[in-house]
Amino acid sequence: MKRIITSVGNWFEARLRLKPSVMPLLEHPIPAGAAGPKGWWYVFGSASMTLLFLQIATGIGLALVYVPSADQAYQSLEHLNYRQPFGWFLRSVHYWSGSGMVVMVVIHMTQVFLHGAYKYPRELTWVFGVCLLLLTLGMAFTGQVLRWDADAYWGVGVGASMAGRVPVGGPAVVELLLGGPTIGASTLSRFFALHVFIIPGLLLALVGGHLWLVMTRGISEPPVPGQPVDPKTYDAKYHEELKKGKPFLGDAMTKDGLFSAVVVLVVVALAAVIGPKGPNGLPDPTLTGANPRPDWPFLWLFGLLSLSPAGLETFVMLAFPVVLVIGLLLVPFISNRGERAPSRRPVAVLIVLVGGTTLAVLTYEGMTSPWSPRMSGWSGDPVPVAMVKRSSPLELQGAAVFQLKDCRNCHALDGLGGKRGPDLSSVGARLTRDQLIDQINNGTPGGGNMPAYGKHVRPAEMDAMVAFLVSLRPPGQPPARIATVPAPKK
Amino acid sequence: MTARFVRPVVLLALAAAGCNPPGKPAPKTIPDRPDALVDFNVLYATHCAGCHGADGTLGPAPPLNDPLFLRIVPDAELVKVLTDGRPGTPMAPFAQAKGGPLTAAQVKVLADGLKTKWGAPPTSAAPDVPAYALTGKGDVENGRMAFAMACASCHGDKGQGGKTGDQPVGAINDPAYLALSSNQVLRRYVITGRADLGMPNYAGKTGRPHNFSALTEQDVADLTALLNSWRSPATK
Repeated sequence: MKRIITSVGNWFEARLRLKPSVMPLLEHPIPAGAAGPKGWWYVFGSASMTLLFLQIATGIGLALVYVPSADQAYQSLEHLNYRQPFGWFLRSVHYWSGSGMVVMVVIHMTQVFLHGAYKYPRELTWVFGVCLLLLTLGMAFTGQVLRWDADAYWGVGVGASMAGRVPVGGPAVVELLLGGPTIGASTLSRFFALHVFIIPGLLLALVGGHLWLVMTRGISEPPVPGQPVDPKTYDAKYHEELKKGKPFLGDAMTKDGLFSAVVVLVVVALAAVIGPKGPNGLPDPTLTGANPRPDWPFLWLFGLLSLSPAGLETFVMLAFPVVLVIGLLLVPFISNRGERAPSRRPVAVLIVLVGGTTLAVLTYEGMTSPWSPRMSGWSGDPVPVAMVKRSSPLELQGAAVFQLKDCRNCHALDGLGGKRGPDLSSVGARLTRDQLIDQINNGTPGGGNMPAYGKHVRPAEMDAMVAFLVSLRPPGQPPARIATVPAPKK
Repeated sequence: MTARFVRPVVLLALAAAGCNPPGKPAPKTIPDRPDALVDFNVLYATHCAGCHGADGTLGPAPPLNDPLFLRIVPDAELVKVLTDGRPGTPMAPFAQAKGGPLTAAQVKVLADGLKTKWGAPPTSAAPDVPAYALTGKGDVENGRMAFAMACASCHGDKGQGGKTGDQPVGAINDPAYLALSSNQVLRRYVITGRADLGMPNYAGKTGRPHNFSALTEQDVADLTALLNSWRSPATK
């Protein structure tokens, strides 16, 4: 068996003469430290690339069936999900592999940042890397749009509205993105072209450039505290280091291959166990029940935009991402020399910790989005049975009015309902009857969170609703009263 | 050597092809458009459970999971109330024609579903049940007598509320309560009681004097008239 493979290989090699050009690439020396156990830090870039190839393979498979037209895209996704054999699995792998790619790119970038690997002479490698991150996110966004469902539809709407706020050029950008002033027949074609031709083309070109730079300037040696980078002496020192180096083909490549294999296995397992994402509701703007959310790589931005005060909105939308990207691009120029070890770079470690925590918290907030009313709460969330059982007829009517007036969409009872306003399960112990009437009539003072409902509540409804709210107290606790007013005599 | 590797791989591939991994999407059970939804349980949970309770009892609004109510209420009335709501009460109109979320077909599904799901065939032992529909024939004075017999032991002589055992019973002469209650629902409560909250129906003896006999059609009309007389003048 082995003899046959070798002779076939030799036959091709005699004609192709690949060895003299490929072998030096594979056998190029890398710093000895990167070939040892510390080499495990260097596997994330190649894993990102492996997932990119998986994306290309599954993407081509999907493109064979998917119809990029606004009236048939949804049906073609359902066809993939339910009728095409293994179509669902292709979609699933494409989604999880894409998610994995975002994860790997971010981990890769964090590792490079923490190890100071972007310092001289690898500034340009970092810049290419930042562009690759942006392109990967671009793929994630355009990919979400191709999953032509309610999330996709409203996601494009939000993206276009944000682009429309760009001074002067805004409308032109929107026109270019959507193929018209609003989402229409050519919108999906535009995003299909972006997702399948334009961004992947750029991505592959930049990956080529990124790899070229990795080859020519070499990968960085594992950082050692007390050995700062000095552009004047670095090249000579690195050259010396490589003399003791190991060939890439060997330990380092094995680690890369092993890790990539594990990543692909995890992706395939997730794809098989959790399955493809969506498509959820129809992309129909007349369906008002839609509750669109961006895909997870953008939840942090969704959270940030939702939580920023109205006055800062345009800045957070337009200036903040630009500042963020420029900041990332400038990293190697702000510090292209000095210590590389994380133990000597507390600011870098802090930036990673604070940045990571911020992203995680904003993602969580975006996921739970407690600021969004739960639009079906009023008719779908039952009044807790214990409250019904202890209520008088008037309080029961009050509870029904409470539901009818949509209070439940923002206010939970026993944790069930909207989270925009406070849970009212024990409001009777906090607010007096008069305070409750004032709050419902006038809302939060100064046009705050709660609107004024005075004009929408009739006197009898107010009476009943406030009676119900006053009755909402932990057992044995008297109604709230103003501290300066003497308690009523029994 | 090769067989040792090939066999598990082939088996694994066969297993993967044969079984359904948990991630494989099951064909949709819920239609794409919410107005195409005609499953009673889903519609009820989305649109009714908030006020009428998760299983049709123990909500603030009148219980719908009540065989006696479902026996006397005409089908057309259910459709009408679902469509138009009950003006002045917390019952909202649910038909799209009236600004609500439901199509006429969905209203029909809910109206029919209530009876199929929670209705019970009439038992032969049951005495004559008073009719559901309001009549104008009630007499307030006779109502007072019927009230003393049938209601006062829990609700107090003037409907001001009282106690059953150690359970407080709220007032039913409260003007705000009455303003939010239609005469129809008052009549319905007189007939059906609220079994889920311990209120007996027109014939129930729980908490009533030992010589109590089931309320007649006339008693029900008189009691409704009495309750109506307690409304504050503005809402009569």
